[in-house]
This record gives sequence, C-alpha cells and structure tokens, in this order.
Amino acid sequence: MAELFIVGQLCSAERFPAKSLFCKWSIHAGTNWKIISGHKEGQTQVDSPSYDNRTWWCHPIDIHFASKGIQGWPKFHVQVYHYDSYGRSEIYGYGFCYVPTTPGTHTVDCHTWRPIGNLRDEFRRFFLGGGAQLKTPDFVYCGTDRYRLHTEALGTVRFRLNVIARNFRRYGVEL
Amino acid sequence: MTDSETASGVFLVSAVGQIEKAHFPNFDNMYCKYVFVCGPDWEIVTGIEEGISQIAQKSQDERQLVVWNFPLDVSFKSTNPHGWPQLIVSVYGLDTFGNDVVRGYGVCHLPLVNGQSSQKITMFVPESSSMLQKMTSWLTGRRPEYVDARLLARGDGREVTRVRSQGCVWVNFNVIFKDFHQYGFENGN
Repeated sequence: MAELFIVGQLCSAERFPAKSLFCKWSIHAGTNWKIISGHKEGQTQVDSPSYDNRTWWCHPIDIHFASKGIQGWPKFHVQVYHYDSYGRSEIYGYGFCYVPTTPGTHTVDCHTWRPIGNLRDEFRRFFLGGGAQLKTPDFVYCGTDRYRLHTEALGTVRFRLNVIARNFRRYGVEL
Repeated sequence: MTDSETASGVFLVSAVGQIEKAHFPNFDNMYCKYVFVCGPDWEIVTGIEEGISQIAQKSQDERQLVVWNFPLDVSFKSTNPHGWPQLIVSVYGLDTFGNDVVRGYGVCHLPLVNGQSSQKITMFVPESSSMLQKMTSWLTGRRPEYVDARLLARGDGREVTRVRSQGCVWVNFNVIFKDFHQYGFENGN
C-alpha cells in the first residue's frame, strides 16, 4: 500500500475579531485511507498573544496514512472558537483545507467563515455573544447543501505541513 | 522497481545548526534550554539530546536581540518518518529578585527536506487558570510552568491549557539525509 506521512504544525491564526482563540481540528479521508498511527483530531491551547498580531498555537501534527486509492484525499477541518474573559467559548469560524498533494514543505492558509442569522440573531450576538452555529458541521466539507447558508468571512488559520509520500509511484500515481 | 523500495530499512537524518537569537520585548538576561523529542521508532546516533546555553543580555541597539549562537549537532536513525524529531526550546530569565522564571516555551519539527533552513519559533508561557491563582502567583513570584517541557511535542492534552505568546526564537538548521530516498520516501527534494 502507498503511504503518506503528514508532519507539521497547526501554527497560528490571524484577522479574527478577537485574539484569545483556540481551535478544534480533525483530519478526514475517504474509505480507501487508513490511519496507521497519530492523532486524527485534537484541540489546541488557548493563546492570548501579547507579542504580535497573530494567535499562536504551535500544535504538533504527525499522522501516518496508508492508502489503497487516491479518492478521498485527506483534508483538515478546523473550527475556531473564541474564549472570552468570562470563560465562555463561542464559535468564530469554520473551514477546511486539503493536505497538499506535492511532497515537501508547505504553508497552507485556511480561510474561515461563520453562518449569520437574521437581524434579531445578529443583534443578540452583538450584545451577548454566541450567535448562530451549524447544527451539523457536515456543511463545512460537503458542497451539496451550502446554497442555503448565508455566511460572513472571518480570519485565516495557518498550517505548516510537510508531506512525505511513499510508494505512490509504484502504483502509477505521480505526485 | 527494486526490492529495497518495498522493504523497510534504516535511514539517517543528521542536523547541524544553531539556536541563533531571540526577541522578547519585555525581558532581559535570558538563557535557553533545548531538548529533542522523537517517536518510538527513532534513536539518537550521535550528538547530545539536550543542552543549556549561556545567560545573554539584550543588544544595546534598536534590534533588542538576545544572541545565544548556541550549537546544535545531532544525528537520528529510524525506519519510519512518523514521530519525526521535534526541537523543544524553553527560555528562562532572572526576575528582579533573582528567581529563575520561565519566559517562553516553543516547539518546532526538524526540517523534513534537506539543506539549509531557518525557523522562527513563537514562544509562549502557560497562564494561571483562575483569578485566585493569578493573585497567588503574583504574590509569591512563582509563575506557572510545565513540569516537563516534552509535553509540548504531544498533540493531546492541550485543550486545558491557556497560554500567552510573548516572544520568539530563531533557529537555523542544516539537514542531511542518508538512505531516505532509497526506501521509496519522497519529500519533494
């Protein structure tokens, strides 16, 4: 079987409305893919930066996949949450990005968005926090039901990923 | 296709480099410790796994840099890229009462491509989880710190920690591989 190694970090986030953030991530792949070792999901620390404009998580990622076919190439799902001064957490953004198909080192920026509700919901969110969130996060990575959503752009999440491929060429797959 | 591309064999990763410098806007007189952490299939062949630097003072110009120029020279062997070595840097400084206080922890992977590269590691410190602990740590001068910095190389168990990033460290690596491509691994080189 062909093997894929993904080693890197969930580095940072920027351009979110607040800086005290944390992120829940997970990696998903098709049925041809199997995780041999490594964590497939996780949650980062909460960083309140005082150094620069980015929120730094430096969360290590190290996953080993075995693959029988390239359908369902692995992708990362991220959910960024804001941790406020009262200890509440509210959703700030959803996003996904594919693992690059080129072996080597990559910086991957994942742009995120959040659903917006009606005027009353937004008014409530402005004063109380919280706001609309997805009941099923499937919308994030499945393109079929997106047309019903109304969304707003939020910040970007940055990954530093190193991809090592093994034996793909043996099966005629060129990366 | 040769047999060696399917069989698992030992490859070597050799890294030389240095912990160059750091920038912490609010602190001075700092030293750093480093430790390499790697997965179960990995083993150190030569070199030292951990080290501790001199105490350095900030430069007296507008750069305000702390220069350590601290050497790293280590070789690993493994059969499996999973568990790739990570460098954990922790920076300590002296406070006004002469206590050792942690100024930042940082982590990065050893480069996975060969050749020269430079990495900027952002350094963060854990924060007290409650107001009461914040108060007692301010009174006693003991800041929260990790019992074992090796924890940072692991992805799990981080959801309970709150941190503040407050500086960065530049590290320079030169990496050489041996027999890596021979066993069918492609890393873009």
